[in-house]
Amino acid sequence: MAKVKVEVPELTGEITIPGLKEDAAAAVKSHNAPAKDMTDLGFPTELVPDWKEKAVAKFAELLKKYRSLKVYMDICVKCGACTDKCHFYLSTKDPRNMPVARAELLRKVYRRYFTTAGKVLGKLAEAEDLTKEVLEEWYTYFYQCTECRRCSLFCPYGIDTAEITMAAREMMDTVGLGAKYPLQTINKAITIGNNLGMPGPAIRSTLDFMEEDVKEQTGVPVKFPMDVKGADVLLITPSADFFATPHVESLAGYAKVFHQAGISWTLSSYASEAGNFGMFNGNYEHMQKIASRIKVAINELKPKRLVHGECGHAWRVAYSFWNTLIGPFDSLDPKYPAPQHICEFTYDLINRGALKLDKTANDDFVVTFHDSCNVARASRMGNSPGGQFEIPRAIIRATCNKFVDMHPDTIREKTFCCGAGGGLLADEIIDLRIKGVMPRMQAYKAVKDSHGANFFALICAICKAQFTKVFPYYGYEMEEVGGVHQLVSRAIVLGGKEGI
Amino acid sequence: MPTIEFKGKSYEVDEDGYLINLNDWNEDVAGFLAEQEEVEMTEAHWEVVNFLRDYYAEYKIAPMIKILVKAIGAKLGPEKGNTKYLYSLYPAGPAKQACKIAGLPKPTGCV
Amino acid sequence: MQFLTIIFSLMAYGAAAVFVFGILCKIMVYAKTPSPLKIPTTPAPTTSFGAAVRVLSEVLLFRSLYRSNKWTWLGGVVFHWAFLFVVLRHLRYFLYPLPAWDMKLQYIGIVAGIVLPIAVLYLLMRRTTVDRTVFISSLADYFALTLIFFIAGTGLMMKFYERPFMVDIKGFVYGLATFNFSAVPTDPVFLVHFTLVMILLAYFPYSKLVHAPGIFFSPTRNQADNPRERRHVNPWSPNLT
Repeated sequence: MAKVKVEVPELTGEITIPGLKEDAAAAVKSHNAPAKDMTDLGFPTELVPDWKEKAVAKFAELLKKYRSLKVYMDICVKCGACTDKCHFYLSTKDPRNMPVARAELLRKVYRRYFTTAGKVLGKLAEAEDLTKEVLEEWYTYFYQCTECRRCSLFCPYGIDTAEITMAAREMMDTVGLGAKYPLQTINKAITIGNNLGMPGPAIRSTLDFMEEDVKEQTGVPVKFPMDVKGADVLLITPSADFFATPHVESLAGYAKVFHQAGISWTLSSYASEAGNFGMFNGNYEHMQKIASRIKVAINELKPKRLVHGECGHAWRVAYSFWNTLIGPFDSLDPKYPAPQHICEFTYDLINRGALKLDKTANDDFVVTFHDSCNVARASRMGNSPGGQFEIPRAIIRATCNKFVDMHPDTIREKTFCCGAGGGLLADEIIDLRIKGVMPRMQAYKAVKDSHGANFFALICAICKAQFTKVFPYYGYEMEEVGGVHQLVSRAIVLGGKEGI
Repeated sequence: MPTIEFKGKSYEVDEDGYLINLNDWNEDVAGFLAEQEEVEMTEAHWEVVNFLRDYYAEYKIAPMIKILVKAIGAKLGPEKGNTKYLYSLYPAGPAKQACKIAGLPKPTGCV
Repeated sequence: MQFLTIIFSLMAYGAAAVFVFGILCKIMVYAKTPSPLKIPTTPAPTTSFGAAVRVLSEVLLFRSLYRSNKWTWLGGVVFHWAFLFVVLRHLRYFLYPLPAWDMKLQYIGIVAGIVLPIAVLYLLMRRTTVDRTVFISSLADYFALTLIFFIAGTGLMMKFYERPFMVDIKGFVYGLATFNFSAVPTDPVFLVHFTLVMILLAYFPYSKLVHAPGIFFSPTRNQADNPRERRHVNPWSPNLT
């Protein structure tokens, strides 16, 4: 395999709006999905002969099912508000990575087949036939959208490119044009129960290892339970927490919090994934199938509470969609929100004085916090809007002495994507990923220069994987990246149960 | 499906160069794959590969990095039991590059 | 004379019918199409009342646009408010006797009438000078702005340059509104102005101008952020048991 050529943007600490460079990212292509995954997921293995009719029929179906799509196809006035908001436009300079231009790839086909003007006037009404070239463009540019919704925030009508990207991907999947990374991941989540394809015994072996590891380091027998019936809490967390670094450090953090709070908890080997890539590709059925494993686990293990680990898009699905997909959660204790984010859980314990935290354990760090897009712009924590920004920061402040926020235009709801969400965490598009993270890296560099920031805290599995991968390209250490509960794990003082 | 040719035999691989059939693997093929990755195989490299294969045989998945780190530390000495050392062996990442050379499928998901 | 009146009356009813029918159709389609999932762009209000306030803040103040780009916001806000006051001023042609509040609006309506084409020119200038908006702009975008520019221009001509006999105009328009027909004034500037407005009306429902009703149906803005507190049901997906 030839090494992929990458180009690393220069870090200046500032984000500037570039001029257009047409087709600059036209060559970016995610690998096509293997035949096996396509078949398993109910899609044709290659482009079907009547793909055009099928795609248009799917389009018609989606327009009837999703008000968002229908309205957003109609109402864009091309004001340009979104044009300088996408991390992929800012970094690749390709004008088709401006959200409005990305959406236009779908809109021109919408006009051709679904509006009178488009049918009659054709090009004059900006309508275009669905051709192989257009389909290729879709595949190129709808896999250069991380569905981070930053454009939606700034759009005067709230047009959400994520909705448009999801629809386009669903149409492509339907006619046999699928992308490998997201579809393979969806298939594993549906058939095995987690994105990694990790069987139960492998998870158990990892958890055993973690028990030993924590015991070795702290002398305290912190348990990592799995498939325990009747535990208070069922924890649903991304499977990356059982596999990758730094993800697993947060898993240790959750376990220590549960241990110290004296609240019994369990993982499920059947529902061993919080992530739900079904959302990324816009297939409701897949999304529901993946989520339904959690329903089964609830019915089997009969927990009182449902707690969710550090994962961005997964928290969106859990917070915003689970109640619709697999609710209502009648068997759970109504005193607690269902689901509850691990940050809400820990924050609550901190507020009640149930955890003892030694901030000096993190004195090596000057911490900053990266708001992950799906948490920031598609979910909430706590009781009031914006809790998703305050609660993780409050936890960080409780676990370390030095915290600094990045530039206000790059945090909270204005946060920049890591450049690999939405099913783009694939190796073959590493060059795009390195570019896409650029705005975020500029903001990080600025607080590095001004405050000596050296720990990049976050609560998303994809972000963790992406940043540990791309930091070295920018000359930063991958160890600078870590979860909020990694900080908790380091600061928490175990033993001496005070009870709650 | 792409293939790689080696010593007159052809092996099926995926787009990223991972072997499709686990049983196609042998040390010669591993050496060839390492060459493609520009990794020069030393004894330490083989330790990693062997551990990965043993673990995979038991659990049908590669081990978590931390487990690998600890195992290598136990084998080669505690000063080598850290992630940095693993990355010095396999610069493109122990989970992905080492798995490829060990003939294991590429990990999916958020890693 | 008679012939011209028939032509313009038919055109007016035709355009009005297309406008009303088109807009109602759009609204019905939007209202009928389900929102399967909760997708408000957060942080979002947690109550329906709060969500309504959010939508109004977009409609009246262009809040999101303000966050995005102050210059575009300025052009957009001035343009839309000017347009609104110009329309309100024109109610004088439909109402008899003229209510006091509309009397008071006459003056501000004239100011708005002067501001309107300036705002249009500003928006056109912005569209044609920023490389990003040049790239995304199409015929339709220029058409809408140009059309409105000429409507405003002909309107101002009648006000400040070639004043036609206003009683005739009111007679004609009021006649149309009350099915009590009177002859169409033959002033050419008026006829051009009137025709352009009819084109705008007919064009409205079938173009990007449906953003006006459309914004009220935008799920990212009109949904309350309360999925945990209240279960949102997807009408086309069965419940799991």
